[in-house]
Amino acid sequence: MDDSNLSISQAELSKLSDRDKQELQQFVVNESQKARVQQNIHNLTDMCFKKCITSKISSGKLDRSEEPCVLNCVDRFLDANNLVLKQLEMMRTS
Amino acid sequence: SQQKDPKEAIMQQVREAGAVQNAKLLKLNEHCFDKCVPKPGASLSRGEEACFSQCMQKYMDAWNAVSRRYVQHIQRESGA
Repeated sequence: MDDSNLSISQAELSKLSDRDKQELQQFVVNESQKARVQQNIHNLTDMCFKKCITSKISSGKLDRSEEPCVLNCVDRFLDANNLVLKQLEMMRTS
Repeated sequence: SQQKDPKEAIMQQVREAGAVQNAKLLKLNEHCFDKCVPKPGASLSRGEEACFSQCMQKYMDAWNAVSRRYVQHIQRESGA
């Protein structure tokens, strides 16, 4: 999440009730999580569009080969992610 | 938009800070420019505009497919 545009003053924050502060804290945690998910979807779409939509564009929908490619792309990327973590762990402990 | 309630104002700022809308539009333009305008001319032709329209729809379609699949994974992993 990009914090550079938040303009909340200390004065404003101190005026909030304890219950409001707690509610805000939970809200920030939830929104950060949602933003992370959106960011991941963004990156995956970028990568998989490049890999899977390779021929000339002739329609506004994913065609019969593009859709499975995109789904495989997501699955394989996540598999690769797990693989990387596993390898790193092995490298670390050997 | 005028926010009288400071808590609401803060929540709105946090929501906007997390929005990935601008990055999405930038990537979409990049991809579709790549596919639809191989040799930039003096203006965008009608064919290029039509290609953009289809490409944008296709990108949204891809976004939705990725989103569904990714959320499925998260739900599976969290045991939901």
